Amino acid sequence: MKIIKDAIAGTLESSDLQVKVSPQDNLEIVIHSNVMHQFGEKIADVVKETLNKLQVAEGLIIIEDKGALDCAIRARVETAVLRGAEVTELNWSLLK
Amino acid sequence: MTSEIKFALLNNSEKSLNDVKGLLESCHLKVDRQVDLFAVAYTDNNDIIACAGLFHNIIKCVAISPEYRGENLTSRLINEIILYAADRGVFHLFLYTKPENIRVFEKCGFYPLVVIPELATFMENTPVGIKGYCEKLSQKQHVGKRIGSIVMNANPFTLGHQYLVEFAAKQCDWLYVFVVSEDSSMFSFKDRFRLVQEGTSSIANVTVLSSSEYIVSKATFPSYFLKEKADVDHAITGIDLLVFRNYIAPSLNIMSRFVGTEPFSPITDKYNHGMKYWLSEYQTSSPTINVIEIERKKINGTPISATAVRYFLKENNLEEVKKLVPETTWAFLKENFATNSREVL
Repeated sequence: MKIIKDAIAGTLESSDLQVKVSPQDNLEIVIHSNVMHQFGEKIADVVKETLNKLQVAEGLIIIEDKGALDCAIRARVETAVLRGAEVTELNWSLLK
Repeated sequence: MTSEIKFALLNNSEKSLNDVKGLLESCHLKVDRQVDLFAVAYTDNNDIIACAGLFHNIIKCVAISPEYRGENLTSRLINEIILYAADRGVFHLFLYTKPENIRVFEKCGFYPLVVIPELATFMENTPVGIKGYCEKLSQKQHVGKRIGSIVMNANPFTLGHQYLVEFAAKQCDWLYVFVVSEDSSMFSFKDRFRLVQEGTSSIANVTVLSSSEYIVSKATFPSYFLKEKADVDHAITGIDLLVFRNYIAPSLNIMSRFVGTEPFSPITDKYNHGMKYWLSEYQTSSPTINVIEIERKKINGTPISATAVRYFLKENNLEEVKKLVPETTWAFLKENFATNSREVL
């Protein structure tokens, strides 16, 4: 999937996260979290894994995490990417 | 309590507008006239208890009623604004606030760019905004010992501008001319940029660049949160010049900034003084920038100004216009203000 426009998903509320994606030539992931010390690496893993699954190889991905669970992280990244890639027909098996 | 609070876009009823005004006033803030969209938080009784406004890409007029502070309303409200802005296709947002509020907005995903102690902070909602811009700039870097710069609006590009560029270029190995990119002038950015490029094309060591959104404009700076006019001027000038000194100048190795003397406008003259203070005297970790003020070029004893060109254009006095602008600008003006231009030619 290719990110072709700016898109956003999620909120800044506690236990949630906001994901912003923009088109870019290389893949750059920037993560800010209020639990960066404890879970920074884990969050990065979940984000990368989700991007991999969606076959996103390039783009700027900015995460503002407010202590979200993995499932929330996955859901928000998916939504932001799908919006940014202007996907209208979804291949659900990708998201398994 | 928070569960009863709802968020919405302000409906334009007189009552809600008055409520927002009242809320801002109770927080010692004024309504910023530019705001064309307010997100509000309200209670079951329809009392507006918090608001945040948007103008283009700038968040303005953020206020929380004192008895509802500490409930994280700001980040929910800012979140609403971020989503409304995204609906309009605007993702890169800025805000100005007092330095004591930095923490609050950091929680909303905003990052401080520069701080003017005790007065104001300029923030953007991305950790990589200015960094990305500076990386792009540094790709245009030219090697040299003496690297100079000029920032101009060029509304439109006059013989005075051309003289300043020629003079500065002679003193430098390379010169960067930034054209203010904001469209709040008589001539569009596209036209101004083209006229600067055309009017400087014969000078070999010049690059013309767009100023980007990081050159702060007086037109968009919210003054509603500063009480004294002098503080407002100090903050606007300081933010603009520190962004230049701390981010833009280092990415191109800029060591000096050239500017023409300002005999007409007291505001611009003050800005020139501010330039010396913030770029050369003020203590910060970035290298100092030498400010070189050059006496403006005169014609028949009168300094040339773009203001005069615009005045003569409005008066349809093209003969006078022609005296003040280079060939390149004249060709453009002739084409676009063609009425009655024949008799001059």
